[in-house]
Amino acid sequence: MRGLRKVFGTTVAVDGIDLEVPVGSVLGMLGPNGSGKTTLIRMLLGLTPPTAGAVELLGHADPVAALPHVGALVEGPGFHGFLSGRDNLLRAAAAEPLLASRDVAPTVATALERVGLAAAADRRYRGYSLGMKQRLGLAAALLVPRRLVVLDEPTNGLDPAGTRDVRRIIGELHADGATVIVSSHLLTEVEATCTHVAVLQAGTLVASGELATLLSAGSGGLVVVTPDVELALHTLREVATAYRGDAAGEVVVSEGPPAPEIVARLVHAGVAVHEARRSRTNLEDLFARLTEES
Amino acid sequence: MSETGGRQQAELAGRVGAASEPTAQNAPIGRLLGSEVRWVLRRPRTLVMLALFALMPVTIAIGVVASNRSGGLVGNIVGNGLVLPVVALILAQALLLPLAVGMAAADALAGEAAAGTLRGLLLAPVSRLRLVGMKAFGVLVVAVLATGVIAVVGALAGVLLVGGTDGLVTLSGTTVGVGGALCRILLAVAWTVGQLAAIGAVALAVSAWTEHPLVVLASVLGMVIVFGVLGAIPALDWLQPYLLTSGWTSGADVLRDPLPARGLVESTLRALCYLALGGGLTVYRMLRRDA
Repeated sequence: MRGLRKVFGTTVAVDGIDLEVPVGSVLGMLGPNGSGKTTLIRMLLGLTPPTAGAVELLGHADPVAALPHVGALVEGPGFHGFLSGRDNLLRAAAAEPLLASRDVAPTVATALERVGLAAAADRRYRGYSLGMKQRLGLAAALLVPRRLVVLDEPTNGLDPAGTRDVRRIIGELHADGATVIVSSHLLTEVEATCTHVAVLQAGTLVASGELATLLSAGSGGLVVVTPDVELALHTLREVATAYRGDAAGEVVVSEGPPAPEIVARLVHAGVAVHEARRSRTNLEDLFARLTEES
Repeated sequence: MSETGGRQQAELAGRVGAASEPTAQNAPIGRLLGSEVRWVLRRPRTLVMLALFALMPVTIAIGVVASNRSGGLVGNIVGNGLVLPVVALILAQALLLPLAVGMAAADALAGEAAAGTLRGLLLAPVSRLRLVGMKAFGVLVVAVLATGVIAVVGALAGVLLVGGTDGLVTLSGTTVGVGGALCRILLAVAWTVGQLAAIGAVALAVSAWTEHPLVVLASVLGMVIVFGVLGAIPALDWLQPYLLTSGWTSGADVLRDPLPARGLVESTLRALCYLALGGGLTVYRMLRRDA
């Protein structure tokens, strides 16, 4: 995706996003509600044309040409209430270019099995619970082996078992070499399943890259626990960037010499060091910092 | 098409060894149409509607037999059962059949958009042109079935309840044989389907612009009523050639002897114009529509 921009009337939904999703990665797309995640996905899939910029999907400049290899669950599952889960899937399968006609029925049965809907397959979709609807949407996205799977809020309405299933399915897809794009606001979910992260805020990309890199880059450095905060700050003023931590009695050293030297200096100056540790940010902290800055 | 084919080939050539990978860009068209027709026919409202259409000629037959009054279009049915299907078609065409087609068209695009299923089809992907073709086919199937049900049940009810199996007495007073009568009924069916196709195309165009099925239904209803009113205002005579409904009186022409073709042909040509207009607008919009 290059320089993507989408304007609805006077609303700029997505503003100049450049994002490359490496083949085989699992990209978690994060962002508060209304940050442009779904719009970005819809442009990626050719459901809505970008106002400016271009999309390349699996090497195709026209996303539609790549769609047979793409499975997607966008903006919630869309099915007809008067048809059973199986009939809804049969209808979706009939439209799949890569599915031979004789394979349609067995493929649908397998897909229903995979998402745990085999028992409810012949009940009307109207009577499905939110989680079952979501599962059927997943089944439709995974009807044929895909090279790219796009899941917009896949765990919406799912029970813990369903969430685990989604996690397992994403893991299987990743193991098979497929690329997966998951948008979610469940950060623990993304942290558990994704290799890459993109964070959106008000239509712009505020961070993207490998999850591990982002987390370590976002780490707050060395945390020193001491009763002598003032003395510690004074001591480090010359050699490092240090500031008061969130908790009382904590000094955070974000830049400066290696940890042993900092501790040595502090001890030398008579600061009582109770504890010194690397602060480990989790995705939630990172996300909060990135999206609340503006 | 040849351009995409060429691109595919070039790409295949570029990926040596990847030839075993399936590269189909479209599901077989027959499978798509079959799936669409199944979808249309599994919808409860379609079935209820067809059942009600089947009741209509039966009701007319019972009414005619019970009152046994001649005079007027319906009065012609007395003792003349084979006229019943044609009369029933003419009566239904005024409003009921356009509504049926409008409903099918409303569900076809607006309804699918509202249910979020249009997106699924486009993601499969079904190309946008094929999608229009598939949807138009579904609407046409409804038009043919609704018309066919009225004609078949009408003919059966006419023969069984009203009687007069030795032929059809025309409005002109002559009698045509059973074979000729059936031909005239078929002509009425074909002509009605043609008019409904025009309504369907316009309804589909509206359907392509909205995701509220009710808007489509209201538009069809509004169009038929407004056209009817405009056609009835003498000062607006010059509008007549442009109104689809102004040709709808020619339906009764199949009951005349000799058969005056002019009205039927003119109204069919007019329907073709509406069909082209509606179809063109539908394609224009669907090639651009967000999903």
